Amino acid sequence: MSYKIAVIGDADTVTGFALAGVRHTHIHVSKEETLSKLKSFLMEKDMGLLLITHRTIDDLGEEFKLLMRAKGVLPVVLAIPDKTGYVPAVDELYELIKRAVGARVTEKVGGG
Amino acid sequence: MAAPMAISPTRMELIKLRRRISLAQRGHDLLTEKMDALIIEFFEVLKRVKQARTNALRQLSAAHRALSVCLAVVGTIETQQASREARREIQLDASTRYIMGIMTPALRIERVERTVLERGYSIHFTSSALDDAAREFEKTLELLVELAELEESARAIARELEKTKRRANALEYIIIPRLEATIKFITMRLGEMERENFSRLKRIKAMLEARI
Repeated sequence: MSYKIAVIGDADTVTGFALAGVRHTHIHVSKEETLSKLKSFLMEKDMGLLLITHRTIDDLGEEFKLLMRAKGVLPVVLAIPDKTGYVPAVDELYELIKRAVGARVTEKVGGG
Repeated sequence: MAAPMAISPTRMELIKLRRRISLAQRGHDLLTEKMDALIIEFFEVLKRVKQARTNALRQLSAAHRALSVCLAVVGTIETQQASREARREIQLDASTRYIMGIMTPALRIERVERTVLERGYSIHFTSSALDDAAREFEKTLELLVELAELEESARAIARELEKTKRRANALEYIIIPRLEATIKFITMRLGEMERENFSRLKRIKAMLEARI
């Protein structure tokens, strides 16, 4: 079975991925519209991967987190930076490590 | 000190409690072992996430650069027009896989890069900058699929790790101390009853001797 890929983000990100062939896209303008589109993407049975820009996630705020908690294993949602390379200061994955392991994990610089 | 449970201090209860405490101890040992294994797995995945993320993000910024050039050379409207024509069904294979009993996604994408002719927009009216941008984004997509799978796996393992930790802690700090406190309470109570009985017997014996 073949799964779909969807992209939500600013106009440039969406254009770029559309050039690569992604068919399901949404340009983030207003919070309400994006949320309802996001919900419908998440509801679709054969959605495999959803790419969403960090900036859009910031705009959606708490509702996005709730949706993420409610979803199953698929679709996989991946946050990507937009063209300005914007990523939030707090890395969500590292927050997760801190919670899971109970310690901050850093890497030794210069071969450890 | 944990408060003992409300339970009647009998020998039977004591035996039951001893059985429960050894079960809880064994459960706790198993959970700690599971946690150790999960942490090893977690760091393995994290290492790969890090690698994949660096690659994907580098490729993504290259793609955005190519797109900016394309927007400048070809024009915004033309690029958007071409992007509408370039859409197609992508062959993404998604399934779930179990790592140590944790459901994690498995994504595989087939041949994302296309030749210029396959993309579907008119090559006659567009520039090679557009081709560059499309190719860069196709490459990005491939890397992002890999990254998405790894990140989601890491997230799933972390969630499981948290759950296991909470359970182990509940056993270690709440359940086992409470059982121990109850056992102590029952042994003390039984001893107390023993002593009460002893002095009662002594008194009865004294009374009987006095009567004779």
